[in-house]
Amino acid sequence: MVFKNLMNDYLPLPVDKSACSKWTNSLPNSGETILYTSYLYQLGSVFKSYAKLLERFSSVRFASRLTFLGGLVVRPKKSELERASLILNNIVSLLRESGLEFAYLYDEEPYSGALLLELGLLDEFQTYGRKLLKFFHARGIKRVITVDPHTFNALLRLRTLVNSDLDVVNYLKLVHPKKGKGRFVMHDSCLYSRYLDMGVQVRMVVQGAGVALVENRMVTAQDTSTCCGAPIESINEELSERIAGARAAKLRSVCGDILVACPLCYQNLSPFVKSVRDIAEVVS
Amino acid sequence: MSEEWLLALERTIENNVPRFDKILLDYPQIEEYAERLRRAKLNVLDNLEDYVKKTCESVEKSGGVPHLAKDKDEAREVIKEICGREGVVLFAKTNVALELGLRESLAEDGREVWETDIGEFLIQLAQENPSHIVMPALHLTKERIGTLLHDKLDASVSADSSYEELVASVRNFLFQKYVIAKVGITGANAVAADTGSVVLVENEGNIRMDTVLPRIHIAVTGIDKIVPTLEDAFLEAQVQSAYAGLYPPTYIDVTSGPSSTADIESRKVTPATGPGEFHVVLVDNGRSKANKDPELREALLCIKCGRCYFSCPVYMALGSDWVRPPYGGPTGAMWATIVNGDTRPALLCTHSGGCKVVCPVKIDIPKVLEHIKWLNPKK
Repeated sequence: MVFKNLMNDYLPLPVDKSACSKWTNSLPNSGETILYTSYLYQLGSVFKSYAKLLERFSSVRFASRLTFLGGLVVRPKKSELERASLILNNIVSLLRESGLEFAYLYDEEPYSGALLLELGLLDEFQTYGRKLLKFFHARGIKRVITVDPHTFNALLRLRTLVNSDLDVVNYLKLVHPKKGKGRFVMHDSCLYSRYLDMGVQVRMVVQGAGVALVENRMVTAQDTSTCCGAPIESINEELSERIAGARAAKLRSVCGDILVACPLCYQNLSPFVKSVRDIAEVVS
Repeated sequence: MSEEWLLALERTIENNVPRFDKILLDYPQIEEYAERLRRAKLNVLDNLEDYVKKTCESVEKSGGVPHLAKDKDEAREVIKEICGREGVVLFAKTNVALELGLRESLAEDGREVWETDIGEFLIQLAQENPSHIVMPALHLTKERIGTLLHDKLDASVSADSSYEELVASVRNFLFQKYVIAKVGITGANAVAADTGSVVLVENEGNIRMDTVLPRIHIAVTGIDKIVPTLEDAFLEAQVQSAYAGLYPPTYIDVTSGPSSTADIESRKVTPATGPGEFHVVLVDNGRSKANKDPELREALLCIKCGRCYFSCPVYMALGSDWVRPPYGGPTGAMWATIVNGDTRPALLCTHSGGCKVVCPVKIDIPKVLEHIKWLNPKK
């Protein structure tokens, strides 16, 4: 069903796209370089409860154009959209300060397909990936700036899986924030830290802005820090929550204020900690 | 998992990680050994049939008896026949024996069977599954072990006994069995194709007892444990023990054939003091098939050090409930596919990635598990 939805509508579920793209109106809607949100910040809680939503939607017969389903369209929470708006606008400011110009696809923005990859649906991910590439090529897009680890990883995997020629870069590799405050324990994104070799870089961005990070060999090192459980939410919700609770307890033992670099980590850890912030909420 | 599991796991990781850090600091050559070992093992996988043949020839040359078993049933039958119908059989914590269900199989026929590795012995007494490949009783706290021994073995110990008193209690019991045992069954950390030698790493001394005191020594292991040379086998022993967190190992045991002497007029006589029979049972059980899969074959490089367990949030949450023993944790999620055709454990991988960071032979475990996930819906 995920695959079918994506092939039909570039989204895994029917979503109120206009609500998700309202965070800006100052960016051009076309260009060779785009900022690509893949809805992760706007729909973090939706992705967290994806399995339940899928169940709900799969019990209803609906037309191929999912976005026209009116009452059945997923609308993210207002508070979540407001938070996403602050984060994404801050990322835009940071990128502009680095001298970068880019567009945003607004309601046309497709989802990356990362979910297929994480479920091990490699054939489907490749098929959707080819469709996604055609979509980008048709709009003359050559460079994609991602804002989260899952989208970044998914687009990079398309290089090896379907010979993608897209230039894909993560915003944390482009920005140099000068302001920031607070003292946190960093919960690394698995993908940034252990797959994309960005653990040090992420820390440099944060600490370069003046934010203090508390490290602990048994909790925050590359080989001792662990996943928040989000990637298996759709397979085993109970296990995902148990992993999140255990990870949150470890982090709390180091520092009560937790910093994350991924919207899904934010969603999974939030129920177990009082204070969790995204990097783009504490640097500017 | 229970509070007891979380407590036992936390104590273990708190003890193990700093010790491992110090090992790599004090012996930096270990990482280079691991790189050489990976290359040597890949060489074997590239020429697996030839190396199996060569290993069998070398075992025979050294006076041992090689056996090649294509699956669990064949392996069990071969070993039952060697063991005979009676007598005490001792095991030295061999994961392949657990894979085969060998202990239960021998016991069902009426043989007296004991594990001699202390952790595995405790598991046998508790009638539970091992929770870690190197530390099978990881899930048992000291207090629970005291109670277990009190109830089943030795009334003089209890939940309040010291670590030393608990170990001494097991040791005293096992010594009575060593002296009457007929067969000692071990695994192998490595089997050298050039000499037919079986190399084993240990700290307790039980493997020395198991391989020397009984009249028959059987080493049962997978064909993935073959390495080209005896030198490579020593590399594997050193890397395995270092990454398990105990280096240098107290003992590295090498067995090349049955015991012998040439002390009387230089004439070779077998047996001497040790066993008169030495058997090497090489088990395939899905390994050759896995070797033909370009992604899955990486799992065959695993040296079973158990390091990946401590970096995995799924293992921490589920323990031995995740993968059917003996192979657990991230490596077990790969090995369940190889030896049991079970692709389900891989579905729970969160791609946390710590497993590939710590793996001494650089297996990209999440990538293998992603491949297994892909295999799953295909079926």
